[in-house]
Amino acid sequence: MSPYDLLPRFKAQYDANNQEFSISGVVRPQTADDLGPSIALLRDAIGRVRGVLYVNVRRLTQMNNAAFHAFSRIILDACRARPDLKFVVITSSVVGWTSRKFGRLSGIEPNITVEEYDSEFYPGQGFLEEGGFVPILRTQTKMTWRHERAILPRHGMRPGIVMADICCGIGDFAVLVQKEFQPSRIVALDHSMTSLSYARRVMREFDIRGIEYTYGDASEMLLDEAQFDLVTCRHSLQIFNRPELILKELYRICKPGGRVYITNEKNSHCLGEPRSESISWTYNEVAKLFAHFEMDVELGPKSRRYLLEAGFEDIRVESFMVTNLDGDPQDFADVIVAWSDVYAGEMAARRGDGPEFVERFRQGFQDHIFAALHPKGYAGWPIWVASGRRPQ
Amino acid sequence: MGPVQHELAGEPTFEPMIQVDMEIRAFVSAWRHCDYVSTYMARMISQNRSDSVRHSNLFSSALNELLEVAFRTRHAGGDLACRVSRHGATDRIELTFPCVPGDRQFYQEAVSQVAGFEARERYLSSVSGDLAPSREVVLLELAVDYNATFRVEEADGDAIRLVVDLPLEGLRN
Repeated sequence: MSPYDLLPRFKAQYDANNQEFSISGVVRPQTADDLGPSIALLRDAIGRVRGVLYVNVRRLTQMNNAAFHAFSRIILDACRARPDLKFVVITSSVVGWTSRKFGRLSGIEPNITVEEYDSEFYPGQGFLEEGGFVPILRTQTKMTWRHERAILPRHGMRPGIVMADICCGIGDFAVLVQKEFQPSRIVALDHSMTSLSYARRVMREFDIRGIEYTYGDASEMLLDEAQFDLVTCRHSLQIFNRPELILKELYRICKPGGRVYITNEKNSHCLGEPRSESISWTYNEVAKLFAHFEMDVELGPKSRRYLLEAGFEDIRVESFMVTNLDGDPQDFADVIVAWSDVYAGEMAARRGDGPEFVERFRQGFQDHIFAALHPKGYAGWPIWVASGRRPQ
Repeated sequence: MGPVQHELAGEPTFEPMIQVDMEIRAFVSAWRHCDYVSTYMARMISQNRSDSVRHSNLFSSALNELLEVAFRTRHAGGDLACRVSRHGATDRIELTFPCVPGDRQFYQEAVSQVAGFEARERYLSSVSGDLAPSREVVLLELAVDYNATFRVEEADGDAIRLVVDLPLEGLRN
């Protein structure tokens, strides 16, 4: 038997509390007999549940026809034997074949439905990816890059490494890294098709090589474990309602001895002079607004705790302030205009904020812009950078 | 290795990407060779696809099924050759393996049925049926779910060559 044969390739389990049977990994048996214990577990689960059984295959990366037939046979038989029972198969849009393959079952038995669990994922994504936000994202990266290009080498960035940029957005950070540091390979992953299309177009137009843009879910990636020297994840833990799930995945794909690099904000610390009070009030309200949508834009200083709790060591934390003095103050002002449009616009409206609140809320952004463009003014946007090493 | 040439009129030129050769005796000595070869080849050829990870996952899924078909050959001698070539958005798998005369006939018929109008219905009926999936069902699934097209060619010795074109690059979820 080779070491390859000893690797656990898949896992089946049943969660009685959630009435959920889940199967994950690579399931490629020679015959259905090889699946004996898993099949028995599914049969047992069907015998125990009432109402609905969830069949979770969102982390199922491969399943051959022998296995698919074995499992689907049991589900189809159960539909016929127990018309009271419904099956909900939970797939992931990231694994290209699962929704289509399991979707066939719902065409055979109406009591089987298939749901892509991540189709309405990432609460913040909808606000940020549509509506012409791309130019602002580019401007933001341009402003933060002035700082990060000097910071990154202290967190494991060096030429020739294999790196991943998770939640890469429109891919501009990956491009800047490629030009500046020449890693041997960059895998850039995001859950927004819109952003990835943009990133690929830029790559084609500028004939950039060495970056692989891939569609994926940061909390459950198809990427193999322990393959990257450096994993970056910028401004994303803060807009995910369970950042610890993403960190667990970042840890998994990072090589032992490699580092995971994260950046996050503490929005309430945005500042400006003059009109500091109004600015401060508005950004405190920004934090509350995001919290309403289960996003923590105050996460920056909590990075150390998150990294430690995820199992990293040698934690390094620093912060920098993007200001109106970095390059063109108008860039800073443009970013604030975009924030104002989204936060005091769609997000405030969706929370149900009244006109009086929205007016005061907008005023803080106006004052921040005023400070940024004022000949004697100063406006800042603080960012926290943190990285941790995966133990050997 | 030069470009893969076929004699069919109007056939585009597929550029070779990778080929794995094994003695069939060695190949069928362990079931996991199917998984191992499909995973390896999928990774190698997907690096420059627009979404390498997704492409690799889909390609591995399709190739593994074909290798499992070859694994079940009843012919004890000869070689397995698995060659992948590319033309634009389409990847071509050419799987050459030894085959007894009865199976040769089977593949000819299976491929012609896969190309028929009822392929989808036949596939759905196989999913709902009691029998374990046959080699024909494997081909049907690749045609229905992966938009694969097939043909069978005679190869040297007692071998046949399954030629499968997979337009995975344009495949939506």
